[in-house]
Amino acid sequence: MFSIWKRELQSYFYTPVGYAFMGVYLTLASVMFYLQILQQRSSDYLTFLGQMGYLWMLLCPILTMRLLAEEKQKRTDQLLLTSPVSLTGVVLGKYFAAVAVMLLTTLLTMLFVGVIALYGAVYPGEMLVGYLGFILQGCAFIALDLCVSGYAGNQVTAVVLAFGVNFALWMLDILATAVQLPWLSGVMSFLSLYTRQEPFLMGQLSFASIGFDVTFVIACLLLTIHALDARRYRGG
Amino acid sequence: MIELCQVTKKYGQTQALQDLSFTASRGQIVGLLGQNGAGKTTALNILTGYMPPTSGKVLVDGMDMLEKPRPCKQLIGYLPEKPPLYDEMTVDGYLRFVCGLKGVRRADTAAHLDELIALCGLKEVRQRVIGHLSKGYRQRVGIAQALCGNPPVIVLDEPTVGLDPRQVVEIRELIRTLGEKHAVIFSSHLLPEIQQLCHRVVLLHQGKVIRQCSLEEMTGERETVHLRAVIALPAGKLLPALRSLPCVRRVKTMGALKDGATDVLLECDASGGKAPQQELFRLLCGLDAPLLSLQSRQDSLEAAFLRATAEDAVSDN
Repeated sequence: MFSIWKRELQSYFYTPVGYAFMGVYLTLASVMFYLQILQQRSSDYLTFLGQMGYLWMLLCPILTMRLLAEEKQKRTDQLLLTSPVSLTGVVLGKYFAAVAVMLLTTLLTMLFVGVIALYGAVYPGEMLVGYLGFILQGCAFIALDLCVSGYAGNQVTAVVLAFGVNFALWMLDILATAVQLPWLSGVMSFLSLYTRQEPFLMGQLSFASIGFDVTFVIACLLLTIHALDARRYRGG
Repeated sequence: MIELCQVTKKYGQTQALQDLSFTASRGQIVGLLGQNGAGKTTALNILTGYMPPTSGKVLVDGMDMLEKPRPCKQLIGYLPEKPPLYDEMTVDGYLRFVCGLKGVRRADTAAHLDELIALCGLKEVRQRVIGHLSKGYRQRVGIAQALCGNPPVIVLDEPTVGLDPRQVVEIRELIRTLGEKHAVIFSSHLLPEIQQLCHRVVLLHQGKVIRQCSLEEMTGERETVHLRAVIALPAGKLLPALRSLPCVRRVKTMGALKDGATDVLLECDASGGKAPQQELFRLLCGLDAPLLSLQSRQDSLEAAFLRATAEDAVSDN
């Protein structure tokens, strides 16, 4: 598993994918930071973190698209699946490689906190909780999009499907407020990754939300393992 | 070392393999021979644990592949039809990664890498990016990958396809060397290749084994030898004399040549150590008829293969 993790992580930076992801993410985040915080002379960093969360939705598919779909396309999965490594090891190695790139990006966004600290007050507790939610949200999107990559036949399908699924989750949130049936709207907001984010953005350490995000990640990874296993039985 | 027991594979309604059984032990090279689509790749994919069989089992060193996949896979190195290479990595980085996958101990990795690189002739491209390598080198990196961790069983799927003639010779030489210590299983649709390298041959046709035997058995069943001779004697005199030879079963004139010579094809009985060529020579000496040319055609694996597939096609109808 460690070998796979290391290879994937290196591969992000041997190819332009890692740079593209981090570059686009940080550029967009900086523009938002300027508009939201600097121009408004606001120090409401948690609201800004909530908005940066939408960038996960947009950019995580780039990070995950090649992870499994490319292996299938280039038939390098034959190496992984005939090596003494379990499917779980393969999936976890890849997942944590994408998570590592996400964490590195997150680390760089902490420069913004430094800028705020220069001109205003930063409450460490609030900031930690905000970032915890932010990271969990990123982890959840990566798991979801990795799962899509596992089912998709090639990279283009993987990236388009992943966008679709991410947007569907976002729409779920909006639709939940529009749906007249209370039980349906309840189910929809229960599933929404954005509603789960709200307590963190108010500075509350919500164990329910942490539990949900962790369960969501595990469920997606299990489905991914299943996708790979099913593919073996189908024969490619 | 490795054993396939009654392996059957179905893709939906399509039967890709039916009741395939064979074994390979250390120091043995087994060739899987068949036309395109005969089921060779499917057989190798099942053998290496890439896909499970619909029924039947694969035993590696007595362990069932489905029950104990990890220890089984540890014992097998596999070069698929398309080498599983990551184009963005360097040869060295890639092989290091494969060593990690195969569980080569970190302390041993550097020495093992040097060994692999020397064995597969990759020294000059060691630091190059795989995506920039020629097909021959890519194939060699693929072979190096299969040898990583020194597994006792090595499985190669059409290892010489698409290489230039010199590379083909080199790779065949490598396979022969490997066959001394490992159990090597490789597939090919090239008959001369199988004939040169293998100790055992499994003939596959439409997913079924139509023949399985040692190479000597297959090509050694030479009860019949065909001789084609051009003899400086007119057909009228020559043919009755040839028919009088005890070993000659059939004589066919292929044509009369200008200067009174005759071109004949003889079907001779070569069983029990008879030597038709010698009998022919003595006869012609007695007749004072110079032998202008003589060719003997042995029953090659190719003929055996074509006959076997043709027989199968007939029995299908």
